[in-house]
Amino acid sequence: MRLSGIRRGKKKLTDGMTLADRLLLAALVIISVSGLIFIKEAFPQGTDVRIEVNGKLAYKLPLNNNAIIAVKGIDGDTVVEIKNRKVRITESPCPNKICIHNGWIDRGAIACLPNRVTVFVDSSEGKENKAIDAITG
Amino acid sequence: MQSQDKYRIALLSAYAIAIHSFENLLPTPIPWFRLGIANIITLATLVLYGFRSAMMVTLIRVILSSIFIGTFLGPGFIMSLFGGVSSTAAMGITFSLFPRLFGPVGLSLIGALFHNAAQLFIAYLLFVQQIKAVLIVAPLLILLGTITGVVNGFIGNILIKNIEDK
Repeated sequence: MRLSGIRRGKKKLTDGMTLADRLLLAALVIISVSGLIFIKEAFPQGTDVRIEVNGKLAYKLPLNNNAIIAVKGIDGDTVVEIKNRKVRITESPCPNKICIHNGWIDRGAIACLPNRVTVFVDSSEGKENKAIDAITG
Repeated sequence: MQSQDKYRIALLSAYAIAIHSFENLLPTPIPWFRLGIANIITLATLVLYGFRSAMMVTLIRVILSSIFIGTFLGPGFIMSLFGGVSSTAAMGITFSLFPRLFGPVGLSLIGALFHNAAQLFIAYLLFVQQIKAVLIVAPLLILLGTITGVVNGFIGNILIKNIEDK
């Protein structure tokens, strides 16, 4: 196994591949790539958005439906936007606007403490996460 | 088993252990992602010296490397052992049933696939126990395994040709 030997072998790299090798390679690539795409589509209902005001559940929405809702907090309306399976707070009456600077999230939570509005992204298993239609006040 | 075979298995195992231990030091972008370059030795052993030698080299490699690295009997060792054994078994069965159908690249791909499948299965049984989590990781793991499998197969092919030429 000298270096010259390796160089000699390199010229015909694909020579050692049989037809079955190529077919197997193609099949594996197709299966895994389509699997990567399919798996993301297969579990979109796994997560939903839970909005709490003052520690009480105000809204529960699916993460895969785009929506803009105004949540009544103690100081005014906090506007929550759901788009492309992500959530953000776009408007809030709070002084620091920390919640707005948090930007888009797809897991965890954003809290607007002055207005007592907290947005959670939950991953709930089973059928409990049937969408409750939000009615903005 | 002849003494020449023993000498060969010892030498090949030593190479495999060195590669396996070295690979363990390499940083990888994903914590559980391994290149599987030690499989090149298993592959060459299988094609040149047969299934029994390949399985022995794999077992010696997995057990001794884990003792050197310090993961012996730990979760990583269990994953490594089941992955290595099922990958070698799958390559060996394929090679003895259809000796001319697959070249080293195809065998390497089969080895990588079964290595991943076995590890996912063990991970599911022992650690995760959530079929959803396993299913989400599976395609990515198979894709990465396919890429490393092809590269290892090419290197194995060159190695086999060079040893045969001697």
